Amino acid sequence: MTDVTYVVTAIFAAGLVTLGLRALPFIAGDWLNKHPFVQRLGRFLPLAIMTLLLVHYVVGAAQSHEHGPWPELVAVALAIVLQWFARNPLLSIVGGTLAYVAMRNAGWF
Amino acid sequence: MSVMAMTTPVAMGYIPLGTVFGFLFVQAGADWWLAILSSVVVYAGAAQYMMIPMLAAGMPISAIAFATLVVNLRHMFYGLSLLGSFPRKPRAVRAYLIFALTDETYSLLTTMPRDTSHRQMVLVAMLNQCWWVLGTAAGALIGARAQITLSGLDFVLAALFAVLTVEQWRSRHSAAPLWVALVAYALAFMLAPDHALVVAIALSIAAATLLQARRSPAGERA
Repeated sequence: MTDVTYVVTAIFAAGLVTLGLRALPFIAGDWLNKHPFVQRLGRFLPLAIMTLLLVHYVVGAAQSHEHGPWPELVAVALAIVLQWFARNPLLSIVGGTLAYVAMRNAGWF
Repeated sequence: MSVMAMTTPVAMGYIPLGTVFGFLFVQAGADWWLAILSSVVVYAGAAQYMMIPMLAAGMPISAIAFATLVVNLRHMFYGLSLLGSFPRKPRAVRAYLIFALTDETYSLLTTMPRDTSHRQMVLVAMLNQCWWVLGTAAGALIGARAQITLSGLDFVLAALFAVLTVEQWRSRHSAAPLWVALVAYALAFMLAPDHALVVAIALSIAAATLLQARRSPAGERA
């Protein structure tokens, strides 16, 4: 990450992709609204993709050490339970992350 | 409700999460101002977090752009419910509101009363980004000085995905996307463990297409 040109290019590429996604309904809203298939995909994909990202990240983190997937499963379960009942994203994210950092650094895992 | 009162809950989340982002970004080896540039230009928390290990590994720009597309795909559908309420002019105001449409700004803007002025909408959007950039700057400056190595701090991205999954689940129309995703990932992991995410996404889109084709009779198609 010491190559400034590379990092700046990546930042602008990610920025353009994000802006494009956010702008699409304002540019092609009529088209999107005319196609029920796109709308149904819009109801299906966000939950599917979030689930995939969560699973993918947990699998990746669990493979980064030799102690099995337990710290990841406990920390994600904690974050989910906190978010489900308290509905406070900061509390869920901090709670889950701190639990994970504690488990990984306490020497149990 | 004043603009400040509306944006305070977002500040409580964006400042600490921005701080962790800035800290991790600098700890991964980048200059402090690049962390701030990312929060000014990209302004999408999950995608920014995800870029850190990819940049550290020197992944190609195309891979980073594709990953951003996947993580932010949900944003494509946010604007649909705001088409009518965004100001048409001035164009710069409209453009900024579209640019700044994060998860939190989206939920604030969609729950604002109908008579909210365009000025208030822009102020809310700008304040939200200010909190995010402020947090990032604080974290980047701490990260540039500190020598703390806590393994597992990057788990913040997994916790963020967990939160977003719970919220998507709350507003679900059916449970099918969750089950399809789990089955698709299991299959993809067995078939192509190195490209599990991309294969699983393709399988999920295929499954969604099949499920919907079966559910909607020909007459329903407009």
